[in-house]
Amino acid sequence: MPTLTINGRSMSVDAANDTPLLWAIREQLQMTGTKFGCGAGLCGACTVHVNGEAVRSCQTMVGDVAGKKITTIEGLSAKGDHPLQKAWIAEQVPQCGYCQSGQIMQAASLLAKNANPTKEEVVAHMDGNLCRCMTYSRIQKAIMRAATEMRTASAAGNERRPT
Amino acid sequence: MNKHVKTITPETSDLSRRSFLVGTAATGLVLGYAGVPGIGEALAAAPANFEPSVWYAISPDGLVTVTCGKADMGQHIASTMAQIVCEELGAKWSDMRVNLASNDPKFNDPVLGAQITGGSWSTMMNFDAMSRAGAAGRMALTEGAATAMGVPASELVVRDSVVSHAKSKKQMSFADVVKSGKATKTFTPDELKAIKLKTPDQYTMIGVSVPQLDIPSKTNGTAKYGIDVMIPGMVYGAVVTPPVRYGTTVKSVDESDAKKVPGFIKAVTLDDKTQTTTGWVVAVANTYANAKKAAAALKVSYDGGPNAKLSSESLLDEAKRLQGLDDSGQFFVKDGDVGAALGTAAKVLEAEYTTSINIHAPMEPMNATAEFKGDILHIYSGNQFATRSGAIAAGAAGIDPKFVVMHQMWLGGGFGRRLDADMMVPAVQAAKAVGKPVKVIYTRENDMTMDFSRPLTYQKVKAGIDGDGKLIALSHDVVSAWPTQRWGIPDFLSPSVDKKGPLDAFTVNGSDFFYTVPNHNVRAIKNEMAHNATPSGQLRSVAPGWTFWAVESMIDEIAAAAGKDPAQYRISLLDGAGKNDGGAQRLRNTLLAAMGLAGYGTKKLPKGEGMGVACVSSQERATASWTACVAHVAVAPSGEVTVKKLTVATDVGTQVHPDNIRAQVEGAALWGLSLALYEKATLKDGGIEQTNFDGYTPLRMSQMPEVAVAVIANGEKATGVGEPAVTVVAPAIGNAIFNASGARVRALPITAEAVKGAMKA
Repeated sequence: MPTLTINGRSMSVDAANDTPLLWAIREQLQMTGTKFGCGAGLCGACTVHVNGEAVRSCQTMVGDVAGKKITTIEGLSAKGDHPLQKAWIAEQVPQCGYCQSGQIMQAASLLAKNANPTKEEVVAHMDGNLCRCMTYSRIQKAIMRAATEMRTASAAGNERRPT
Repeated sequence: MNKHVKTITPETSDLSRRSFLVGTAATGLVLGYAGVPGIGEALAAAPANFEPSVWYAISPDGLVTVTCGKADMGQHIASTMAQIVCEELGAKWSDMRVNLASNDPKFNDPVLGAQITGGSWSTMMNFDAMSRAGAAGRMALTEGAATAMGVPASELVVRDSVVSHAKSKKQMSFADVVKSGKATKTFTPDELKAIKLKTPDQYTMIGVSVPQLDIPSKTNGTAKYGIDVMIPGMVYGAVVTPPVRYGTTVKSVDESDAKKVPGFIKAVTLDDKTQTTTGWVVAVANTYANAKKAAAALKVSYDGGPNAKLSSESLLDEAKRLQGLDDSGQFFVKDGDVGAALGTAAKVLEAEYTTSINIHAPMEPMNATAEFKGDILHIYSGNQFATRSGAIAAGAAGIDPKFVVMHQMWLGGGFGRRLDADMMVPAVQAAKAVGKPVKVIYTRENDMTMDFSRPLTYQKVKAGIDGDGKLIALSHDVVSAWPTQRWGIPDFLSPSVDKKGPLDAFTVNGSDFFYTVPNHNVRAIKNEMAHNATPSGQLRSVAPGWTFWAVESMIDEIAAAAGKDPAQYRISLLDGAGKNDGGAQRLRNTLLAAMGLAGYGTKKLPKGEGMGVACVSSQERATASWTACVAHVAVAPSGEVTVKKLTVATDVGTQVHPDNIRAQVEGAALWGLSLALYEKATLKDGGIEQTNFDGYTPLRMSQMPEVAVAVIANGEKATGVGEPAVTVVAPAIGNAIFNASGARVRALPITAEAVKGAMKA
């Protein structure tokens, strides 16, 4: 029985090694924030982080992620208050909301590496994530808003830190 | 006009907890588990709550929970219903909560008399009932507080969930009043009708972009969609769908390899008496991953049936054949004498317009969970038409519809797809076969190839202009599958003008436009071959998605033939004569607003660029939101089209939530763009060829142009916003392409090859 490290907790799942991580997360662990959209890595609805990288959990097998650090939307922040989640609410991004866990996880992997992305970098990073409600412009705005907040917070943190 | 939207004046809401079937749409489909002993009690709210209406309850902690009878597929209709109640109730927005209704008829739409969500109807048809329900609650709370505080009710003011008496400085919160048990006033339907509602100048909530109540749950993974339902003891079903869209039968199922899959339980061949599906098999297993493996291991052989050789080409050929027959179809519009007028015309133009098969493809693939508990069948699924879908589920189970309880979930996209109930059939029959609750989830491949698609359409338009370029005659034939006739509910059909029996107005709506054309015919022709081979559905605005493509392109072609500016030509046709009075002027004003915002006719554009206009109404003439678009495009010599900007103006009368209207209009406009340029499905050997988002390719972020939205709120009644902006975009783009390059395109989606070909012509 493979053991997965998800959102900081070690959990064993009753699934064969060739089971897509998506279904292990959703069914075995009953964390349903990660969504099934296409099963082919074409839409991004199932995006989670593996060792900080955004991956499509429908294309990632349980056997390949044992011992790696997996983060889902439920574990992105303790109280749903990651700068991106706050920005998603501030910009009132979601319509049906189904793709938004994946959008947020995809965006989080960008901002973790680049807290000051250009619009072009945002588009290039997000283009694999479909939104059938077409909330794309609000997604862009929310990412920019979150990036600004993260830079401000980090600058404030730097100031406070003794050198 | 369709019968089901005739009664636009909303009737009273139901405070007596009896259900009034105000409309007639549900005739023959009256469902109601309320009649089943025991079940009502089990589902009733806690008795300590104050429930002034079926639409909401106030708990002793002061929280106001509005039950939304409409499907919420991202249009935030649950939050909007709460906002309308909140305005008249006088509650604080942070006290508002929402709950999704079951299929109990008491939650039926007060105008439609059924639970169906579509047509951008919800706000328009529920505004009055929700307002009255809110006001009734405020009056009951006021009276209760007056009794409790010993002051005259007439001196009390309600604001932010508090009832206060200025003179004595006494006050009670809603929570206090509910706990006191003094709020007991009830209203008869007549008393409800007599309530004097606020006038717009008194609004404090309507017109405010309050935070949508569902959004936080959609940023942290907690919103529950149908696919997220977990029932103790539940197992999973994966469907094996046949290579032919409709009409197949299963000849044999070889389970030998599937039996080797761990967790495999059973293969169930559907026996679908509702005829929603044909030739489907469900593989049931302990997990979905195993169910999928088992499904892949099943060897199913089919009889392909009568549609197995059909293709998009055969459907189009058949459409052309039918259009060419004099006695095809029925008349939807027959004004004046088109034949005679065409005979006297100085110039006659003819054009053919087509649209391809299109797929809804909401991000949440179709799914349903079915559980038999005692006599009751519980269905968990996000669905737009609980009234009919409950009946289909019952039909699949072989039970009376009154034993079906539909548990509504958030919809991971609807767009009309979830008006259908196909996903319930495998869930119900698998649950019955294995004696356990079953959740069936379609793969994306099932979802795309078994969509109730927007049908392939063929339209022929003939126009006559006089010596001054005035449009004197228009003949318009629309050939398509009939999506709404498929439902089998007579009240959703419309009588034909030539009394040749009912027609499906959901194939021709929009062609009864607001232009003044003295001689005007519209013929609705059913393409029986397409109807059988590609059972069609309602896709975001339905007919206007193709009828306005033809009409709004043709108006430009006519203007060009008359040597007039196409926008000015429209304005002259929108003179408001006769039946068009009111609507035409609003559409004209909206067009002018879009033109102004876009700089139409004032902005100098470089060579190879152009602007095009179009203006439309909504799903039906009777439910119009007036919408206009100016598309700005660049056309490369290769025929490649770049949409630089879409400017959309829409007259919605009254804005309940301005920010949501903008979100809906922008999303709808991008849908319009996606359908205009990027989405195409094709039929081959009876099956849909595109199976996932590699072959069927909705708009992505990198393809998004600038979108400018202007909302006109002129104090008229609130109208719907989810759909009209879908239909206005394609003709605006087509017209812009013509203005940029001289290429006239008449087929959707528009391809670079078609543009290039038309340039040479």
